[in-house]
Amino acid sequence: MRVQDLAQLSTRMFKTNPLRTWLTILGMGVGTAAVVVLVGLGFGLQQIILEQIVFGDSLLSLGVSSTGATGPKLTPETVQRIEQNEAVVDAAPLARFNALITYNGLTGKVAVQGVEPPYLSFAGVTATYGEVFGPDDLDDTTSVMLSPATLKLFGIADEDAESFVGERVVFRLLVEADDGSEDVNEILIDKQYIVRGITKEAGVLNAMMMLPELRNYVGIEEYERIQVNVIDNENLPLVEEALIEQGFRVTALSKTVEQASQIFQGIQAVLATFGGIALIVSAIGMFNTMTVTLLERTKEIGIMRTIGASPNDVKYLFVSESIVVGFLGGVTGILMGVTFGLAINLFLNIVAGQFGGQAVSLFSFPLDFLAFIAIFSAGVGYLTGIFPARRASSLNPLDAIRYE
Amino acid sequence: MAKPFIVARDLSIIYNKGKSNEFKALTGVNTDIYEGEYIILFGPSGCGKSTLMYSIQGSLPPGEGTLLVKGDDVYSYPPSERVYFQRYMMGIIFQSFNLIGSLSVLDNVALPMIFCNADRSTRERRAQSLLDRFGVGHVSHKIPAMLSGGQQQRVSVARSMVNDPKILLADEPTGNLDSVSTQQVMDKIDEINTFDRRTIIMVSHNAAHLSYAHRVYYLKDGRIMREVVNPQRKQIKPVREGETIVTELEQLARLYPYDSVETWRVKSMVNFLTQDYTFDQIGRLEHSVDLFLQGRIDRDSFIKSLILPMERGGVEVTEKVARHMTSVVEKVIDTADDIRRFRAHKDNDAIFFTQDKLADRMQEHLAREHRIKMSKQQEANMTELIADRVTGVVDQTALNERLMQGVRSKGLGLSEAEADDMTRYFEKVIAQGVDVSYK
Repeated sequence: MRVQDLAQLSTRMFKTNPLRTWLTILGMGVGTAAVVVLVGLGFGLQQIILEQIVFGDSLLSLGVSSTGATGPKLTPETVQRIEQNEAVVDAAPLARFNALITYNGLTGKVAVQGVEPPYLSFAGVTATYGEVFGPDDLDDTTSVMLSPATLKLFGIADEDAESFVGERVVFRLLVEADDGSEDVNEILIDKQYIVRGITKEAGVLNAMMMLPELRNYVGIEEYERIQVNVIDNENLPLVEEALIEQGFRVTALSKTVEQASQIFQGIQAVLATFGGIALIVSAIGMFNTMTVTLLERTKEIGIMRTIGASPNDVKYLFVSESIVVGFLGGVTGILMGVTFGLAINLFLNIVAGQFGGQAVSLFSFPLDFLAFIAIFSAGVGYLTGIFPARRASSLNPLDAIRYE
Repeated sequence: MAKPFIVARDLSIIYNKGKSNEFKALTGVNTDIYEGEYIILFGPSGCGKSTLMYSIQGSLPPGEGTLLVKGDDVYSYPPSERVYFQRYMMGIIFQSFNLIGSLSVLDNVALPMIFCNADRSTRERRAQSLLDRFGVGHVSHKIPAMLSGGQQQRVSVARSMVNDPKILLADEPTGNLDSVSTQQVMDKIDEINTFDRRTIIMVSHNAAHLSYAHRVYYLKDGRIMREVVNPQRKQIKPVREGETIVTELEQLARLYPYDSVETWRVKSMVNFLTQDYTFDQIGRLEHSVDLFLQGRIDRDSFIKSLILPMERGGVEVTEKVARHMTSVVEKVIDTADDIRRFRAHKDNDAIFFTQDKLADRMQEHLAREHRIKMSKQQEANMTELIADRVTGVVDQTALNERLMQGVRSKGLGLSEAEADDMTRYFEKVIAQGVDVSYK
């Protein structure tokens, strides 16, 4: 039998028994929708966490910081020493000072961070608005990046954050006195910095400028943090071990990501199990329908067999019918699930907007996941159809034709 | 000498073998069917005729014995391969049409070709031409439920022929049809046999169809009781000298298909004892009387058909006998007309004849026919008696007794012989004059 004829013959149920067919598809659809929504929730949660931390080089970098007052300090020599390690591509330091920031007569307290451009890519710092410092910006002396929370100091609402790019701010550095007293010297940087970008770092009051520019106003003997970029994944633990031996505290983003991924895979598995149960229930319903259809069609099968249909023709008819139902069930389920998920997302965004929180996408539906679900549901259709189909094909034509 | 196309040897089919409800549907069946033959499997319900047909079709494997179609043992192949053989060898039509309700008529006919991977335009052209040929081309885009039974069966005949099979199997194809449709379908099947030269194997229990076949197998209780050759058709099966002489029994087999050979022998003997005419003559006479009673031939044609010699299609009786027969028939018809009028005027007195007048006329006719002189009282009694019989107040036996009763007790006082004669005659008239209908 040719495929187009098979398709024509196996979609007759939409004409002969539309209600039952669509109800079966709906049943499969609800089961599939449960899977789509729950797994989509898993993807969404994973994405919310990971999209903040996973960027390019950052996965191959280690964050090095001091263990405390007793441990070794991070100095420019430390940076050089680390760079001598063959497995290390580059090491980028970060120096940090407290400072007062003034905009339009309003003043607040922030931390000024002096960095080199590679640090930004190793640490995965990105901009929500405006632009990040690029590799060529090392000598930049005119611009800074601010964290979103800083804008709150000046009463800038989230939606106006974009327009804040290009505004000018003034800093006064607060540097601890060298003499060991608790005095703080205030160093005024007598120039206006242009805000070139707003970072994504939530919850901290940070301003970032280039390290050489910061050096123009204050001597830097000690770094807050060094971001080390390693050649490849295999060397990551070796470098990490070496640094720990030297008495530093090391955090690897890749490890965090790995652990987070594992946790989320677990969560997804649990969610998928619940969805799977719903899918099994609807698959059993569909199996039942296909079996009833078989009984109803017994006479027709007998007729077809006596006029020249081979047992395989009959089998293909049944299987393709259930694959069609399964696939359409999958597509219906995807539509329902995605619509539901996006509706929840929209609702959360509206609520978050109302209460001033950050908008998140709780549900996420990667296209390849949806494609997998569509194919998988066709597979479920195949499985529910194959047993009735085998029975149909093995019926004796004469018994079948006399069946009422 | 041609080899038989379908050969069954000691074929036995047992349903539910080994179970308590084991049933032997066929026992030791031997058949030889030649290419181009029209075979009817005839017998009462449950005789195994359908079983034999479906066994030839390939759906019922024999329990014992062999079945060869074109020299091939179809049951030696698994069902998945047997079907390739069935597609181009067998077409089948059923009593209940068995069209698929969710497909158009055209698709139904084209369906066997779909299973053979024929492309759409080829099969639709073929299906449409067959539908046209069988007179249902104009309904090809309707669904089967919108067609009459006769149309559906012709569609089903078209479907059976779509792959141009060698053998057409028909399972009581006219069982669900009215007489007009039956005739159309039987003619089409006959055309497939005589014009397309296809082998036909038909299961039937309608004796009227037997004349179409070359040969008829009579089955009873799962056995072939006898094989009857139709002398009116030129045989395809090679006839061995002396094996089949056309006997009166074969003639009787067609007249009384349900009776046994013994009964036919009895009938043959009784016919010889009681009648001067052969079964052939009786058959011809029946045909002529039929036409005459229906008024489709007039008196002269009727006489002529009786006198004409056998070889020219007549009954071959003498002119004297022919004229006598004609006058008897005419008198009976006339009187029968009176009875009809009498019964029609039961409730309203007629314009031309009152019921009394009609009864009088019948009384006079009977008396004259039987040459009986009667008194006034007898005549009155007889008129009353006739009225009673015609209205159904008295039955045949009572009529006979009243004719013999004394005049005073409302009888006629006839002798037993006279009474029997008159009863017999009058019953013949009543048989002609009373409409038998069910309301």
